[in-house]
Amino acid sequence: MVKLTDYEQRMLNGEFGEFKQIALQRIYDYAKVLGAEELCEVKKATLYLGAHPYLETAGSDDYDTIFSKMYLCSDKTIPLGEMADCCCCQTCVAPCDQYQWEPLHLSKEFFDRNRKYLELTRDAGVSITGSCTPYLVGWIPLKGEHFVTTESSNGLMCNSVFGACGNSDGIEAAAWSAICGRTPKWGLHVPENRYGTVIFNIECPAETAVDWDVIGYTIGLKLPPHGVPVLQGNFPYPDIVRLKQFFAALATTSGAEMCHIVGFTPEAPDLKTALGGKEPKAVITITGEDYRQSFDMLCDKSEKPINIVTLGCPHYTLEEIRKAALYIKGKTFAPGIDFAIWTDYATREMANQNGYLEIVEKAGGQILTSGCPLVIGPKCFEHAVGFASDGAKQAHYIRSELPAGTPVYYGDMFKCIDAAVRGSWKEV
Amino acid sequence: MDFTLKARGVIDGIAEGEALVCPESIQGWAGVSDTTGKIIERGHSQEGQCIDGRILVLPCSKGSNGWSCHFHSAMRAGFKPAGWLFTKIDSRAGVAAVIIGVPAIADFEEADPCEVIKTGDWLKIDGATGIVEVTRKNG
Repeated sequence: MVKLTDYEQRMLNGEFGEFKQIALQRIYDYAKVLGAEELCEVKKATLYLGAHPYLETAGSDDYDTIFSKMYLCSDKTIPLGEMADCCCCQTCVAPCDQYQWEPLHLSKEFFDRNRKYLELTRDAGVSITGSCTPYLVGWIPLKGEHFVTTESSNGLMCNSVFGACGNSDGIEAAAWSAICGRTPKWGLHVPENRYGTVIFNIECPAETAVDWDVIGYTIGLKLPPHGVPVLQGNFPYPDIVRLKQFFAALATTSGAEMCHIVGFTPEAPDLKTALGGKEPKAVITITGEDYRQSFDMLCDKSEKPINIVTLGCPHYTLEEIRKAALYIKGKTFAPGIDFAIWTDYATREMANQNGYLEIVEKAGGQILTSGCPLVIGPKCFEHAVGFASDGAKQAHYIRSELPAGTPVYYGDMFKCIDAAVRGSWKEV
Repeated sequence: MDFTLKARGVIDGIAEGEALVCPESIQGWAGVSDTTGKIIERGHSQEGQCIDGRILVLPCSKGSNGWSCHFHSAMRAGFKPAGWLFTKIDSRAGVAAVIIGVPAIADFEEADPCEVIKTGDWLKIDGATGIVEVTRKNG
């Protein structure tokens, strides 16, 4: 039985319009499925909006119809209303760059459609941000704040590092929450569910962003279902760049939504506190051999031509762009290479002001915004003869999207840049 | 019928179908094709199998908050499971259960359905009572 406040009951009765009524009805149904007893107020949301390819099965170009079918899960078309007053809403990634379509092999018509959809939801209260790392552009839920997000790595960052409270829900439920301002008080919204349950002793390399990417991938592979990892070991504490790689990879190979690092993350000042005083369900060691096995899953063992190089999964910080630009300076990418650094458009503008954009463009590359090849879909990578990325998440998922046998390579930004200059991958 | 399991009924209704057991779950992104309902996750134990009309037996969800939306998109294209069994519910699976709306049972405590049910077994599930009737494929 889900207990509603008077305000929530009035919303469910339709007092605030059909748009909010159906959103709260879905949240109510969701709460029942989970076994939640009440709802909590959501203060921040990132939403997966724009003309995403999966929406095409709605079979319509009318956005009210698409939104009703695919977000509200209603065959009756309900005009777009407004997001909840209590909730700060912005967009997650989009299926097109904020400014360009040609480098992505997309049409102007598609660009315009995506833009139109984003402007419609902006008018409903969702600012256009186009970021999978919203914490880099000021969307930061703090300790105890309830949030929803459509980006799994962002959920891990907000729960684990900021101490905010959110579940991974999904695309539709994040929209329901943003509209009605409520989510089931369940899972990580409840303090006792936030404790660690599985200890991971880290005995593999844990220095670079690639190391943390591979550690996240490996932990995800070994994490028992519903486990909350607790990391310990003799490693330097990771910075935000390492953490964004770590969380993106961890959320790729597992369903993890929260992760503690002993002595570092706020709910893990020591191991006992991280575990809530309970015995761990398992203790797992990540060795150098585990690391190598994961790396081999991510990077093909061959040296073949590549024509797509993607940096920035998750989106690059300004500092990562600076590092890449300094390395690119004076180099020229091989003919026919799609080389792109992905970030949000605010960070791209900072890269522009600092001259990094000019360096990348002079070499024949792009700094693109708001998405990545995976989000944009097959049109931007169907011509791939070989694909290289410095993101484990990108390298993992793209394998399922490319024709079997298309080489996929994974390595740090320098290795990827060298491959783009050469036009082929080299092991060393 | 060879044996029964009981857990928490999550979505009411009765469904019958062939079990499709995925002990590694199905990843949320590039896991199920929006347009064919087939499992496209590279290297998955059931890669190439279609979810349509099957009873999906999963420990949990995994990988990407897009989990529900790809099942949803596949349903709009005409492909959806007949029912779900989740060893333990989680947020992504809960959203998918609401959207797809087919009978669902979760939070198994006595036996893990991913271990005791095999792909191809015939299942009858009752989302109101939480009872799963299992008939072995091979006798």
